[in-house]
Amino acid sequence: MTRSDRGRRSAGTPWLAALVLVLAGAAGPVALAQTPEVEIQIREHLFFPAEVRIPANTKVKLIIRNLDTTPEEFESYELNREKVIVGNSQGIVFIGPLAPGEYPFFGEFNLRTAQGKVIVE
Amino acid sequence: MISAAIIVLREVLEGVLLICMLMASSAAMGHRLRWLPVGLLLGVAGAYSYAVFLDPISMLFDGLGQEIISAVMLLSAALALIVYVHLIASHALQPASGQSSRAVLALCLLASALSISREGGEVYLYVYAFGVQAGQMASIMSGAVIGTGIGLSFGTFFYYGLRALSRQACLWTCAGIATMTGAGLVMQATYNLEQADLLPGQQPLWDTSALVMESSLTGEMLQAAFGYEATPTGVQLSLYLASVLACLAAMALARLQATKRQETST
Repeated sequence: MTRSDRGRRSAGTPWLAALVLVLAGAAGPVALAQTPEVEIQIREHLFFPAEVRIPANTKVKLIIRNLDTTPEEFESYELNREKVIVGNSQGIVFIGPLAPGEYPFFGEFNLRTAQGKVIVE
Repeated sequence: MISAAIIVLREVLEGVLLICMLMASSAAMGHRLRWLPVGLLLGVAGAYSYAVFLDPISMLFDGLGQEIISAVMLLSAALALIVYVHLIASHALQPASGQSSRAVLALCLLASALSISREGGEVYLYVYAFGVQAGQMASIMSGAVIGTGIGLSFGTFFYYGLRALSRQACLWTCAGIATMTGAGLVMQATYNLEQADLLPGQQPLWDTSALVMESSLTGEMLQAAFGYEATPTGVQLSLYLASVLACLAAMALARLQATKRQETST
């Protein structure tokens, strides 16, 4: 592999990491100051609450607490979100701003029981 | 067992498309498939590490570790594909040389390992949690085997279909697939960054769910093929198009270099 090939392949990644960290630094304080938070618990492969109401056109921070011992994957096609939360732990997922409507979500590892929706009004 | 099969199939399909394209194109460029077992091994090791260390990984970067690491892996794979498209185009624009290119092999290795790590990590987590921990091993494993089998069958069909094309047709088709797959990876990276609030969330520009729903079989296939998204936002669309343009630029660069080579030799 020539030096230029190796350079092309790895040159992007450190810059990318730097860019992400800069954006994180910039976005962090602003996001935390004003974002409403909603907690969703996972117990016995079910979501509590199964219906989450949030205001329209607002960014919202979902805190998903997995109280089961098994991992769950919080996923939604409509919200375009997908996150694995290991057992006995929690994860943060930002959603919005969203137009009014209903946005279903589910636990991919327990499709039959873990179902819910975000109602935006 | 059926849900296990479907979950595993979804993950396997995304990886299979990419890897079959890499196999077909590297073969058309005159390489043997020796990178494949190494790529698979690295991918499996990556998947295992990702699943086992998921808890500490998630806690990195203030709870955003999963999204950031995922985004970095996706974007690295997308970058590798952009460079790879350039190499495919270079090879397509000159007669078969029979020379082995270490760049081609390295990129195939990287892209396949990254893809398998990502998809495999989720599969491993699921199988471990519900097989070992919940004691449903037989049902989960048989479902996983079925899902993997279906994915691999599709892959075999796809690979031999590509290899049946002429060298030129195979290479340019693979370049197209690599372009669309890379754009799909960039799209997934933007979801991760939006989810972590590192890119702005926005209202989607349109909603094509009435035409093809993301959760339908067609939707899933299109998603695996090129990252189909029913409700894209402005940021997602821009980055998607930027990725496609980067690949087109890579191909144009190859054309430019080929023309220069012709000029200097005549």
